[in-house]
Amino acid sequence: MSTEAIAHSPSHEHVHEEAHHHVLPWYRRYLFSTDHKVIAKQFMLTSFIFLFIGGAFALIIRWQLAYPGKPIPVIGALFPSTWVTEPGSGIITPEFFAQLLTMHGSIMIFFVIIPLAVGMFGNFCIPLMIGTNDMALPRLNMWSFWLLPPAGLIILTGFFTPSGYAAAGWTSYPPLAAQTGYPTFTFTGQTLWLIAVFLIGFSSIMGGVNYITTVLNKRAKGMRLFDMPLTIWAIFITAILAVLGTPVLAAGLAMLFFDNFLHTSFFLPDNLVTSSKYFGGGQPVLFQHVFWFYSHPAVYIMLVPLMGVVSDVISTFSRKPIFGYKAMIFAIASIAGLGFIVWGHHMFQSGMNPLLGTTFMLSTIVIAVPSAIKVFNWLGTLWRGNIHYSAAMLSALAFVSMFIIGGLSGVFMASAPVDIYIHDTYFIVAHIHYVLFGGSLFGIFAGLYYWFPKMFGKMLSETWGRRHLFWTFIGFNVCFFPMHVLGLGGHMRRIYDPNVYDFLKGLHPMNQIITYGAFLLGFAQLILIGNILYSLFFGKKASRNPWHANSLEWAAPPHPGHGNFDSDITVYRGPYEYSVADRELDYWPQWEPGKAISIHHHTIAVD
Amino acid sequence: MKSVFDFLGWFPENISTFGGELDALFAIIWWVCVGIFFLTFGLMAIFMIVYRNRDGHRGYNYHGNNILEIAWTILPTILFAGIGLYSNEIWEVTKYSNRNPKPDVEILMLGKQFTWMFLYPGADGKFGRNAYTDRTARADMSATNPFGRDSLDPAGADDFMVENQFRVPVNANVVVRGSTIDVLHSFFLPHARVKQDVIPGTWMNIWFNIFKTGKYELACAELCGSGHYAMRAEYQVLSNADYDAWLNQKSAEIKGMNAGVAEEPAAADTTAPKSM
Ligand code: HEM
Ligand SMILES: [Cu+2]
Ligand SMILES: [Cu+2]
Repeated sequence: MSTEAIAHSPSHEHVHEEAHHHVLPWYRRYLFSTDHKVIAKQFMLTSFIFLFIGGAFALIIRWQLAYPGKPIPVIGALFPSTWVTEPGSGIITPEFFAQLLTMHGSIMIFFVIIPLAVGMFGNFCIPLMIGTNDMALPRLNMWSFWLLPPAGLIILTGFFTPSGYAAAGWTSYPPLAAQTGYPTFTFTGQTLWLIAVFLIGFSSIMGGVNYITTVLNKRAKGMRLFDMPLTIWAIFITAILAVLGTPVLAAGLAMLFFDNFLHTSFFLPDNLVTSSKYFGGGQPVLFQHVFWFYSHPAVYIMLVPLMGVVSDVISTFSRKPIFGYKAMIFAIASIAGLGFIVWGHHMFQSGMNPLLGTTFMLSTIVIAVPSAIKVFNWLGTLWRGNIHYSAAMLSALAFVSMFIIGGLSGVFMASAPVDIYIHDTYFIVAHIHYVLFGGSLFGIFAGLYYWFPKMFGKMLSETWGRRHLFWTFIGFNVCFFPMHVLGLGGHMRRIYDPNVYDFLKGLHPMNQIITYGAFLLGFAQLILIGNILYSLFFGKKASRNPWHANSLEWAAPPHPGHGNFDSDITVYRGPYEYSVADRELDYWPQWEPGKAISIHHHTIAVD
Repeated sequence: MKSVFDFLGWFPENISTFGGELDALFAIIWWVCVGIFFLTFGLMAIFMIVYRNRDGHRGYNYHGNNILEIAWTILPTILFAGIGLYSNEIWEVTKYSNRNPKPDVEILMLGKQFTWMFLYPGADGKFGRNAYTDRTARADMSATNPFGRDSLDPAGADDFMVENQFRVPVNANVVVRGSTIDVLHSFFLPHARVKQDVIPGTWMNIWFNIFKTGKYELACAELCGSGHYAMRAEYQVLSNADYDAWLNQKSAEIKGMNAGVAEEPAAADTTAPKSM
């Protein structure tokens, strides 16, 4: 499969035929573009907007927990005496609080981490790193992005419905999320939430199908599967996860939607005592099974691509081959496989048969092993490296260290009897933020600092990058580490005012410290935005391969146009040949001709 | 002030028999994790310092080592599997119905937005016909009669209901059969290390044995609506004598009310013994 063949592939021709003389109208270039790089940027921009919306919601939540009963600045003045704030006081209401925490979680998971990890990196990296001109199915790719903005508008429109935003948590367990007390065919925040997440699911499936097809069919000449960078492996396996898992979520959401909107009762049992008369015959716990059958794999959908990204960044900046390339791939594959048989660890206390608790505990404990393998291989990569502390590398190291803590807290919760006490407390909140913020988001930052030169043709400021990461790291740990302790004190998650309880009174200072950390963390992100904007307008022009890296994207021009590469690409070796003995340069790009042999895990250049 | 890094110091005082085992298991995992933390962070810190970029240095072209890979696959597997198997024994004791001890005291519990309701069998120790004892009585569940009690059943004449508070005797196997009439709730006794979600349409068996008398709190741990945070109740762990006295008094009260006899009003929290 040569690049020449690719250049004449049907999809490519098709695009150009339509385009008439290669000049596309502006809306085809920037809005409805089928170029994977443009789509990646669209995902990036949209998700960054949502990142700030979701972050603002979190800060309001933190304000309430640190200063319960104190009027909230700005919001209080904007919405005086509505259902958002208590009459006359500017204190947010418990109703609005529940809506905020629901929207915070949903936005961060479905509109930030998944689109960034899968949508942005998947789109940007796959064609460039496998040396091809675009995705196999560019039109489908465009649609997978264009479901995101409408879904975002729909979920945010919930605010204007009579019930306000959805308020049943990002997990939306019925009966709370199913009985509305509104007449049939009423759009409530919850209904809109369901529609929006359903659309996002569709976007994931379309993206996933496309990624799988592209990776299998469009690799550059000479590139075997085991010549692919770990980023690509990770995204490839994630795509399989998404394609297998998301339809199940879609089914669950559809049933819940019917319960909500059409008043069926898939999840509503007999003999409820409520104002609604639509119930009977359903089983609430069924939804939890369906939901977690998808959502446990989904936590890996949010993490695995970044495990790939971080592996590439660490290898590049350690100037060393990744330690245990195949072990890394097998670890990801087993995480993905096992990920489908551990969902019940979210349900130890749900009332399912405790015998299942035993099963799920044992499978969950097993899944911690491949996570450990990955950590040891990252450490092995650092060993005897020549480590350059770029912003990307610092972010990748933050990822590894925070993922260790998140993985370890997972071990506590994986033990079903220990989970009795910490389930649904802040311990869980600490865990999810260590893996999703400390893990996924630092991974996203690492990828962003690493590929920004290729995406935009400009260099980001390394100094400001380090400052951003430093304050983010401090803010993050001040904010989330003490949450473990809140959880051990018994502090339930999703509560509006902990001071109602005597046994939580001693934890109040801790809640305030957490809020200081949260504000630091939130405002530190302005440094990133400033850095990006400055660099876009005044940044130094990037060279083709600023990090002296090996993978194929660095063979493309700094800001590649439609079609990506300006020369034919042939792959001669794997992506991790750094510091090969007898070579002057400490890197050896995949596309550079040359022979080598491998002896005892060392690569030696011949001729 | 306690340090954030001293996880074990932050638990509220434990008052239940299996609570000690759960805490001990937590402590074991904690020390294992502290070990892994220092191992991994230590290596990372050392490598970051020793192998930082310096002039004339070069990375080491080395692709990995299968013996190491196998070692760090097998060792964590053994370690984690050990934790899992050990945990399972404790899990079975706390949650498997067939390992629940024989109840000394049985209470029915219902959650509703945002209240906890408890039904006691009264002095005779026997429930009358209600939604728990008889499936067909579930149809009678309503806002005014949440437990679906059958007022015609004489066994239920001394059954009584309390709201947002309950009492149990010390050193007794208490079994709470819990459910809810609307959405999910979670029955969380932080000091007794008990947590169990309750589901409408299903009765859960929740057992505990508390060895210390006193007044403690019950919280709802499952988001159940805007009032979730305030779905709080108090419970008292009483000596056996005090508990019996309270039970008898409440039963007499309710019987009197049922019989239409004017009783002297007794405050809900008096524990003064009173003959039947
Ligand atoms: C070592 C590996 C891990 C183990 C053993 C583990 C275990 C668990 C367990 C047992 C729970 C349920 C706790 C409860 O609700 O009581 C949980 C919750 C959660 N985990 Fe993990 N986890 C691991 C890694 C991860 C990773 C890598 C992610 C995501 C990137 C993740 C994301 C989450 C999320 C989002 C929840 C909370 C869901 C919710 O209830 O809102 N976990 N984890
Ligand atoms: Cu999970
Ligand atoms: Cu609740």
